[in-house]
Amino acid sequence: MSEELFEKLTQAVVDGEPEDAEALVEQALEQGIDPLACINQGLMKGIEKVGELFSDGRYFLPELILGATAMKAALEVLEPRLIGSQKREVLGTVVLGTVAGDQHEIGKTLVGTMLTANGFQVIDIGVDKKADDFVAAIVESNADIVGASALLTTTILEQKRLIDTVVEAGLRDKVKVLVGGAPVTESFAVEIGADGYADDAISAVHVARKLISAAE
Amino acid sequence: MPSERPAIEPIVTSYKLRFLDDAQLDSLREATFDILENVGVRFHSEKALAIFAEHGARVDRDSQIVKIPRDLVLKAMASVPRHFTLGARDAALDLPLKDGVTYFTNDGCGHKVVDFETGEQRASTKADVAMMARINDYLPSMAMSWTIVSAQDCGATASLHEVDATWRNNAKHYQSVTMMGERLCRYGVEMATALRGSAEEVRRRPPLSIIACTIAPLVQDKEAIEGALVMAEAGLPVLVMSMPTLGTTAPATYAGALAVGDAEVISATVLLQLASPGARVFHCILHAWADPRTAAYVGYPLNCRARYAPVEIAHHWGMPSLGGAFGTDSPEVASWQAAAEVATDPLLVGLAGAEIVTGIGLRDTYTLLYPEAIILDDDVYNQARYALLGMEVSPETLALDVIAKVQPGGHFLAQKHTRTHMRSAMVRSASQQLDEKGKYRDAVAYAREKVAWILKNHHPEPPSAEVQKELDRILAAADRELIEKA
Repeated sequence: MSEELFEKLTQAVVDGEPEDAEALVEQALEQGIDPLACINQGLMKGIEKVGELFSDGRYFLPELILGATAMKAALEVLEPRLIGSQKREVLGTVVLGTVAGDQHEIGKTLVGTMLTANGFQVIDIGVDKKADDFVAAIVESNADIVGASALLTTTILEQKRLIDTVVEAGLRDKVKVLVGGAPVTESFAVEIGADGYADDAISAVHVARKLISAAE
Repeated sequence: MPSERPAIEPIVTSYKLRFLDDAQLDSLREATFDILENVGVRFHSEKALAIFAEHGARVDRDSQIVKIPRDLVLKAMASVPRHFTLGARDAALDLPLKDGVTYFTNDGCGHKVVDFETGEQRASTKADVAMMARINDYLPSMAMSWTIVSAQDCGATASLHEVDATWRNNAKHYQSVTMMGERLCRYGVEMATALRGSAEEVRRRPPLSIIACTIAPLVQDKEAIEGALVMAEAGLPVLVMSMPTLGTTAPATYAGALAVGDAEVISATVLLQLASPGARVFHCILHAWADPRTAAYVGYPLNCRARYAPVEIAHHWGMPSLGGAFGTDSPEVASWQAAAEVATDPLLVGLAGAEIVTGIGLRDTYTLLYPEAIILDDDVYNQARYALLGMEVSPETLALDVIAKVQPGGHFLAQKHTRTHMRSAMVRSASQQLDEKGKYRDAVAYAREKVAWILKNHHPEPPSAEVQKELDRILAAADRELIEKA
């Protein structure tokens, strides 16, 4: 019974159907199926398959993002229902936001979706956020990585301000800084002292993974 | 002794090309009405929300989404002027917008420069803005000036320093790509007033305009929109630019992307008309594609059908349009890609009848400046300009008497008619410049030499000492308020 449902859940992620994934986990919970098993035996298998299909060129971005969205939708239902000390295994916690003076949301949100689907816990603090807002979220969530997005040549320097503020808060050894956004370049990231740079949501996942393993 | 500049050479043509028929244009306009009325646009500006509320739009203060009824759109759009004049620093360079004339400008706004002397890539500075303004001033292809790169060494007042650097080196109209926000734009108006001598003269011959970028999909940035309101109030033109990307910030279908982009432009235009009826506003949709595998910004896929449909949409609203050209994604100064991607741009945009067009001189999707790229792109521009000129058919140009004289198998080099016409029969391109041995030179070497020549020899007359002093005072005040006190 559970096996069949896990398979359907896997398929809902592979097909990129958030509504189906959500309905299936609701159904699973009603039937008393272990929520952590839904994650590990259903959703994770699905997202791994999506990753494979993308890697070998059969899936394009919309399939990848819809798969991740289906995964995220199901997780949102399941996570509050984990039993006792059960905890979803996460690779790390990432605080994510767009810097002060910048309202551009989409790149940052895509990065958040991809990180979530790939096993990170993401705290998305939104757009137009001051360095202090990022730092408050880092402290509150005990984050491993902070990701800052900037889309304007006039706002990219806020990424440097964030790093300065992280240093001032005494958190520089505890949190890795990941930067991105259209005008940001690898050399700019190095220049301001960021730990990582990603030019799209997929490479953000790779870089975040690297930063976590380097920290370990 | 200030140097002369060659006369501006816009694209002037009586040819017109239409990709969209009236029914399609009407459908696109209906789509915009539908989006504005039923989906709405988010304005991150209390000031904008108050203006909309006052005029009867449906404003949700929590979401900051404004829904604009069709009647209000129509009423506001009735006051948009179709044509007006962009004033230049020098009155002889004023640009009267009119049918059949397309004015080009340089690209913007980059943030990286491959240094002309060292060849090293670095962040752009005010000195780069000044240098490129001088080159722009010399080139006949450049009818006006745009912020080609940002003055990143000037911090929060960079956009004002860019105006300063441009006006000291360029006498054409200047459109700022970076001036945003109420405070900066008030300083911008003050600088324009210092140049012109009075607010009335600023309004009559606006020497400065700005672009206000929307955020796709369907969001207006606080700084962009509040800056635009200040400019419109002072009678300075505003260009509302949307940049929908197919598949990420807009539907993956072209018509849907244009509808989103148009709704963004029209919502801002309506606001500016409600606040300052008759405000001079340009319409611009610079659409792009997202790579379906990486989401990378792609300006030139193979299937750019009806690339200049946005120009037709603008004209259907009765608005002047900026057409985007020359936005190659190539990071190389002179690669096959850099030329091939943009080759048909100036021809098509001229045929579409855009009033102004950006942008010559950058690489790597509007971000990277090689000073010599402007000379190479100028060549592509001029190919289109010449292609759109008519030809003369007359007894003199048919030359039947000469043909008869030469007879089959002869040659024309020894004919007086040939002597008269051969010099002007072929205008040399950048790749047809001769070296001392009579061989064609490398085009990039030629372009670099031309840049060096312009920088050495072209020194346009700067604004009067009195105006320069006033500009210095305004910049110092802005730096104090926006940098030191902040």
